[in-house]
Amino acid sequence: MTSLPKNHLSEMETTCETLLHELQVIWDEIGESDPEKDKMLLELERECLEVYRRRVDQSNKRRAQLRQAIADSEAELAAICSAMGERPVHISQSNQNAGGLREELKAIAPQLEEMKKRKAERWAQFLEIIEQIKKISAEIGHSDCNSADIALDQSDLSMRKLEELTMQLQALQKEKSERLKQVFDYLKSLSMLCEVLGFDYKETVSGVHPSLDENEGAKCISDDTIVRLECAIDSLRKVKIQRMQKLQDLATTMLELWNLMDTPNEEQQLFQNVTCNLAASEHEITEPNTLSEDYISYVEAEVSRLEQLKASKMKDLVLKKKTELEEHRRRAHIIGEVGCEAEFPIEAIQAGAIDPSLVLEQIEAQIAIVKEEAFSRKDILERVEKWLAACEEESWLEEYNKDENRYNAGRGAHLTLKRAEKARNLVSKIPAMVDNLAVKVTTWENERGTDFAYDGVRLLTMLEEYTILRQEKEQERKRQRDQKKLQGQLMAEQEALYGSKPSPSKPLNGKKTPKNTGVPNRRLSLGGAMNQHSKTDIAHSNRAIRAAKKADEMDTLSPVSRGLDIAGLTVRKLSFNATSNNASREAEVLRKPFSQVKPGNQLAPTTPVSKPLASIPADIEEENRPPKTVPIIASKTPIAAPSPSPMQVACTPAPVALKFEEENVKLSPEAEFSFEERRLALYLSR
Amino acid sequence: MNAAPVPLGSGGKELSKPPTDGISNLRFSNHSDHLLVSSWDKTVRLYDANANVLKGEFLHGGPVLDCCFHDDSSGFSACSDNTVRRYVFGSGKEDILGRHDAPVRCVEYSYAAGQVITGSWDKTLKCWDVRGASGPEHTLVGTYPQPERVYSLSLVGNKIVVATAGRHINVYDLRNMSQPEQRRESSLKYQTRCVRCYPNGTGVKFGFALSSVEGRVAMEFFDMSETAQTKKYAFKCHRKSENGRDIVYPVNAMAFHPIYGTFATGGCDGYVNVWDGINKKRLYQYSKYPTSISALSFSRDGRLLAVASSYTFEEGDIPHEPDAIFIRSVNEVEVKPKPKTVPAPS
Repeated sequence: MTSLPKNHLSEMETTCETLLHELQVIWDEIGESDPEKDKMLLELERECLEVYRRRVDQSNKRRAQLRQAIADSEAELAAICSAMGERPVHISQSNQNAGGLREELKAIAPQLEEMKKRKAERWAQFLEIIEQIKKISAEIGHSDCNSADIALDQSDLSMRKLEELTMQLQALQKEKSERLKQVFDYLKSLSMLCEVLGFDYKETVSGVHPSLDENEGAKCISDDTIVRLECAIDSLRKVKIQRMQKLQDLATTMLELWNLMDTPNEEQQLFQNVTCNLAASEHEITEPNTLSEDYISYVEAEVSRLEQLKASKMKDLVLKKKTELEEHRRRAHIIGEVGCEAEFPIEAIQAGAIDPSLVLEQIEAQIAIVKEEAFSRKDILERVEKWLAACEEESWLEEYNKDENRYNAGRGAHLTLKRAEKARNLVSKIPAMVDNLAVKVTTWENERGTDFAYDGVRLLTMLEEYTILRQEKEQERKRQRDQKKLQGQLMAEQEALYGSKPSPSKPLNGKKTPKNTGVPNRRLSLGGAMNQHSKTDIAHSNRAIRAAKKADEMDTLSPVSRGLDIAGLTVRKLSFNATSNNASREAEVLRKPFSQVKPGNQLAPTTPVSKPLASIPADIEEENRPPKTVPIIASKTPIAAPSPSPMQVACTPAPVALKFEEENVKLSPEAEFSFEERRLALYLSR
Repeated sequence: MNAAPVPLGSGGKELSKPPTDGISNLRFSNHSDHLLVSSWDKTVRLYDANANVLKGEFLHGGPVLDCCFHDDSSGFSACSDNTVRRYVFGSGKEDILGRHDAPVRCVEYSYAAGQVITGSWDKTLKCWDVRGASGPEHTLVGTYPQPERVYSLSLVGNKIVVATAGRHINVYDLRNMSQPEQRRESSLKYQTRCVRCYPNGTGVKFGFALSSVEGRVAMEFFDMSETAQTKKYAFKCHRKSENGRDIVYPVNAMAFHPIYGTFATGGCDGYVNVWDGINKKRLYQYSKYPTSISALSFSRDGRLLAVASSYTFEEGDIPHEPDAIFIRSVNEVEVKPKPKTVPAPS
């Protein structure tokens, strides 16, 4: 604008002067008047001025516009900077003089652009974070969240704010994960509860919130959901506890019933998992379905079945307990109070007049009492047992002493001899035993203030009776001895008269002389009396027995009640001796037992023992002792016996350590040969 | 198998080519199911009992009264020509171990001592060392006089029980043969036919069984203490009741089951019975064999029982059924002890 417009101006000036000159020329030619000329020139000048003025105005306006634009830009820049929390750039002052307003504007524009771009970026970041915050907040369910404000407010986009937001986001994320974890925990416990209770887990969960049901995908974690989950768990737990108590009640009842009815183990096994949880606390019951409706009703059904069974068995139970009580009493030799039957009336139970369980309890109590009493009686009872056993031996011994054939060697005779020896020993101790017992009983009675009853009879009376009987027997024996002596004298006289001795008469074994021993019968302890008089009143039956005892009727009972007693064996043996007495005696004469056997005595070539000689002379058979009356077991059927049969066994005599001397051997004639020797002799003779 | 007189399955499998005269003894090997059989036809035969094949025959100078295995490939025999022989089955080699002064009745081989023990009617027992030198002077370990002619021998561990005529029983310890450990009289009143020791398994109840010509078997114990001796007993067997009279048969043979300790007895009645000595029960009776049972032997595992059905001359020289050997497979129920059902009254 420096040189070129000047030239233009000067050129214009020249052109204007020439044009003016030209105009003057033209005017001269035209002959215009001077005023005209002046007027026209003035007009021209005015027109020119007008044009200038317009131009100035225009330029001025333009300048103002530029200034405005710059100011605007600067303001915007400053706003952005401040929003972004950055230091504003002051360009305007420094650049004032540099290159005019246009330059200035140009300089500001890129900065502004730059800032705008940065702002947009920042904004995007903000938006992203806010978006996430919003999303999480929504998930969590913070309806009052201030995200809206954040979204609206663009004035603060500083890094600080961004950091703040990020922190907020992180906090929210953390909260979310925590909630998720909690929800999962809840779901897990919920599923366990459902399993135990037999509920449908999916249904329960979708009832709380549909999203929880799905395996994949987001679970709802809002406060509301969590609260509802808690509620659900709580309610389920309540149900569980309730059911558990119910089941445990059932189990207790069941155990009682089992105990009561001796339910077999196999049957109990089925409900093992019920009873094993009897003492379990709530959290210990984790097995699926243990508390489901079905299972509980199943157990309930079993219990009610047992109850019914119990009802039907009550009678049996009462009877069982009763027999148990009686067994205890019997063992302790106690007689129940009179009217034992009436104590626990079965008929009344059947009629339903009395609650059987009440009766059961009563019986149980009775049993406890009897047990206690039995314990206090134990010591005395043991002594009584011993005494009774001794008495039994005494009576056996008496019987045995009456047997004339007792020293005959028969099978098992040595055993009987041994027994007799023992019995004699025992019998000699009886008086001391009785005295001791009497002392014990007296102290017991003094201590307790009651009589010591043995099967309903006072023991002291029994002891006294026994002593009296014993004395009587002693006298009897003495009398007999005297009589025998007398008889002996008589016989001697007779012998002197007639010269021969009458053969001593043998007592018949089949017809036993009645036992006149004072052995108190073992009555209830043997159960015989119970069997005999089962229907009658026990106390009464005892009296009857006592009466019977005196009448010596019980003698017939005793071998039965003793079972396989040795006494029974003796009877058998004795009767056998009676039948084979003579034969065995002859055998005795032929060969004494256990004596050295002379080989010549044995198997002569013509011995009858070998095969075809179908019979064996009686004496040889006798010599083989266990005599032929004992059956021989060789079975007639050659095929195996279906079950093993017992051997025909006899005890062999104790070994005789033989000392064979040379002369002994020499003495033995060569009469004994084995089959082989005879065979070889025949073989060689051919 | 060929021409079995007894139906198959009742008496067992009959071995083909049996001895032509009385069978004096038979024994199973301890290593296989080979069976060694001595007989009055002067031979010892070796059979494979499983395959029913006669594997070897060894001719002697007289009737052979007993035989036993040495190991699976050699054996010994007791011959009525007074000799004790050893022969190797594979090669047929045969040599005389030594001689007695009378027919040799029994022979046993002790694995424990490596000795052969022979009992003879010359009233001696002789021990022979087969591992020793060749000459008879070196082979003979000792001669031990007996009170009577030896009728039966049995070995268990180091114990040897000698049963002689006159019902004497001598018990020796092989490690000290100078004196009998025990001298006893038989508990049975008649001539001893057979003695067999309980197999080792029976523990404390260590003893022997005796059988006599009078249908009776006694169970005895080595232990001389009173408690042990009260346990001994005898029982009757191999008898027949006819018209109220008993026919009594000699009990010729006994054999203990190697596993169960039960035992079989064979009598002149042709029956074989199996007994449980502890529970005092008869476990089984096999169907009757054609004639007397002269010898019995269980195989090493107790699965087979060899039964010699051969007339034992108890009635002298009379016509009799042919001699036969039956191999019976043993069912477990026949030999397994059955516990008592009821306790025996004292």
